[in-house]
Amino acid sequence: MLSVLALATAWTGCATAPSRVAPFRQRSDSAESGQLAGPFSGDVVDAATRTPVVGAFVYATWSYEAGTGFVIPAGAREFAGATDSRGHYNVPAMPHVPGTRLVEFNLLVYKRGFVAYRSDRRFGDFGPRMDFAQQNNQVALERWRDDYSHIRHVRYVGGGAAMAALTQWELADAAEEQTARNRTAGGPRPSSGTLVVSAQLLSEQDIREITKFDGKFETGPLQDEPDTATYSSQHFKAIGREETWDVALRVWRLPSAKASERYDELRGQMPAVDEKDDIATKSFLTTAGEIRGVGFVDAGRGVVAIVTCGTSICSSPDQASAMAKAIYAKLQKLLPAVGVTP
Amino acid sequence: MKRMMKTLLVVGLSLVAVGQPQTAAAWEAQTTQVGLAEQAALASVVHDRLVSLGFKGGLFELLTVPPADAPELLAALARLSPSHGTTPDKRGQQTALSWIAAGAAVADAPAEFAVNHYFDPALAAAGKFAGYQRPEASAVNRLSDAVRRQMGRMTSPKVGVAAPDWLNDKANPFNLAAFYDQYSKAITAASPGERARHMAAALTALGATLHVLGDMGTPAHVRSDGSLDYLGADPDDYGSRFERIAALAFGRLGVPAPSQVITRGSVREFFTTTDGKGLADITARSYFSAGTLPHSVSSDGAVPASVLVRPAPALPTRLNLMAASGADGTILRNSAGMCLARYRVAQGMLAFFTDDECQLEQISATLPTTVNYQTGLTNYLFRGQLAVTVESAEFSVRSATAMGEGSLSLITEDAQGTRTVAQVRRTAAAAAGADIARLPVPTTAVWFVVWTGVDGTNQPLVAVGTAPKTVAPAVEK
Repeated sequence: MLSVLALATAWTGCATAPSRVAPFRQRSDSAESGQLAGPFSGDVVDAATRTPVVGAFVYATWSYEAGTGFVIPAGAREFAGATDSRGHYNVPAMPHVPGTRLVEFNLLVYKRGFVAYRSDRRFGDFGPRMDFAQQNNQVALERWRDDYSHIRHVRYVGGGAAMAALTQWELADAAEEQTARNRTAGGPRPSSGTLVVSAQLLSEQDIREITKFDGKFETGPLQDEPDTATYSSQHFKAIGREETWDVALRVWRLPSAKASERYDELRGQMPAVDEKDDIATKSFLTTAGEIRGVGFVDAGRGVVAIVTCGTSICSSPDQASAMAKAIYAKLQKLLPAVGVTP
Repeated sequence: MKRMMKTLLVVGLSLVAVGQPQTAAAWEAQTTQVGLAEQAALASVVHDRLVSLGFKGGLFELLTVPPADAPELLAALARLSPSHGTTPDKRGQQTALSWIAAGAAVADAPAEFAVNHYFDPALAAAGKFAGYQRPEASAVNRLSDAVRRQMGRMTSPKVGVAAPDWLNDKANPFNLAAFYDQYSKAITAASPGERARHMAAALTALGATLHVLGDMGTPAHVRSDGSLDYLGADPDDYGSRFERIAALAFGRLGVPAPSQVITRGSVREFFTTTDGKGLADITARSYFSAGTLPHSVSSDGAVPASVLVRPAPALPTRLNLMAASGADGTILRNSAGMCLARYRVAQGMLAFFTDDECQLEQISATLPTTVNYQTGLTNYLFRGQLAVTVESAEFSVRSATAMGEGSLSLITEDAQGTRTVAQVRRTAAAAAGADIARLPVPTTAVWFVVWTGVDGTNQPLVAVGTAPKTVAPAVEK
């Protein structure tokens, strides 16, 4: 009789695709527990601008166990995808794997220039994430800052071949940080001064008002180098159009003397510079082929910026100049105390 | 924070205690154990040691183990969740830190190995067998086991090797001998690829070793307790509730960094010492495990000492039986105010039990202690360092600590990174700071010395020294 009961119990387990209780809700506005198997959906936005993050890597993993008391890993399944032009992602449900128990689901979202997102833990304190939802999940990617620890971020990202390949660039920084940490027995250096983020200085709305552009942009940091405490970029890539419809902003925040040096370097690199000096301490206007650019330096604030736009979206130099002036106006509000530099 | 933890536990755990005698898993391998190993490694000397040996990225150096070289290990790692940083890519490549984490994650594989992660210091002190022994099963459980076997499922072995002994057991693929052997080869092997492979193997063994020590931070593993709870709706899904709570509340990433580094004179002393300063000693006397709570007793008179399964932790001279008569009972706290158990009086009986909140308090206290010991053990295994000083055409090799007999190898490295064992010399015991050997300075710019043997207390040791950077190579004649 006991044997029959044991068998019946086991069969029941098999028939219902054994799975642990999911530690997340089905939807952010529901109390119902989600399903580890999925499906999952959500939207990814830039935490600074609340604009969609397009092309972010979306990596989902399911873990299985087998055994009775003797628990052994019984494999994992993964899904790799990307956010679409609206920053939306869909992860399909994972079919049951016979003879196993589904015990964990994890979602990772990553785009270079941002802090990665994990569905199980927060980056800030590594505490359990309580706001992940199976459907309509909201992911706000925080911009990477130079005072963040690469060691911490490498650990946070974890693994998976595709994810490891995407974040491999960070290993050298993590190694250097570990060496420095061992030498000084201290942590990563703290942040200094107010951080300037390019996305705070120019928005899609600003561009539309100045240029009358009626299309859509995909936004995010430029891919040349990641944001740091001293550098930030924002790329407004016109969806479905040529590069001459794009706008880009690069901003450096440096000590006053260094800011002036950086500005001079920048101006020296530009062809056909017209020194206008009508914005901040000094400014220039340049046109190279189908690209217009306006650069300026505010020596007191230690800020150097250059905004570039294609000739399709900036049909006249005045439009490029207007963008730079709008950027400087926002900068003055963001950093009101002139003369305070890190 | 505490409130959030509680919410998480409510969401993640809907368990029913069954107390079925079986083998428990340790701290959960893929989460808590991996987090502990990562934190211990990051706080240890390993990064600097790797850099000095030519692995420039230290803990973040990519090391490759070709799948054909270690098919079983790579297959075991492929069964883990890739999101926890323990699964190499298809080429078998991941960082040094990930190899340590991988070792911590696979120490329970195959599953029967989990029984070798138990050590009861009270039994050891009494001269008794201190490893895991499967409790005598009831008739029901024996029948249940028989059914499981017929269905192809496992039951636990009757006994396990005591955890400190398991580290030296030949059946353990990640034993200390393997660690020392691979570590030594990671310096002496000819090509950079071979050295990377050996270092990955050494670090995997290190991770597995840390796992075994880490288990000494769980009360069940040091109090001969194999009781389990249901962890999910699946009737086969049962394990340690204590360890599941740790995984939910701390996971891999939430494990704390060490607050201090424990130093001991041998590997065994990290587990147990005669004066009770090993991790197993501390855990065993500080906490009850779910299966070793005080026995229930009539609440009519004084509580007899016989209710205790072990002498420690002791019960206070007076229990608050009035408060214990409420529906939820009351809390038994130690002198530091930490919850050890709850107790309740019902129908004239005094009974002890634990709840999630109480266990979470204990986990919050024992995890930091555990990682302190693991960091110390990591430093201990990499402690061997030789001072190399050059005097004209000769160099001398010294160790800051006493050395027993051993063997010193001089390794030279050419411009392509190919290393050659230029000389091997037997060395006699040497006092701390004394010359171990004097050798001619090699003609290459890069060279190392590797010494293998036993230290002054007869403990195995691999010690390494590198050429001083300021010294130009001798001119080849």
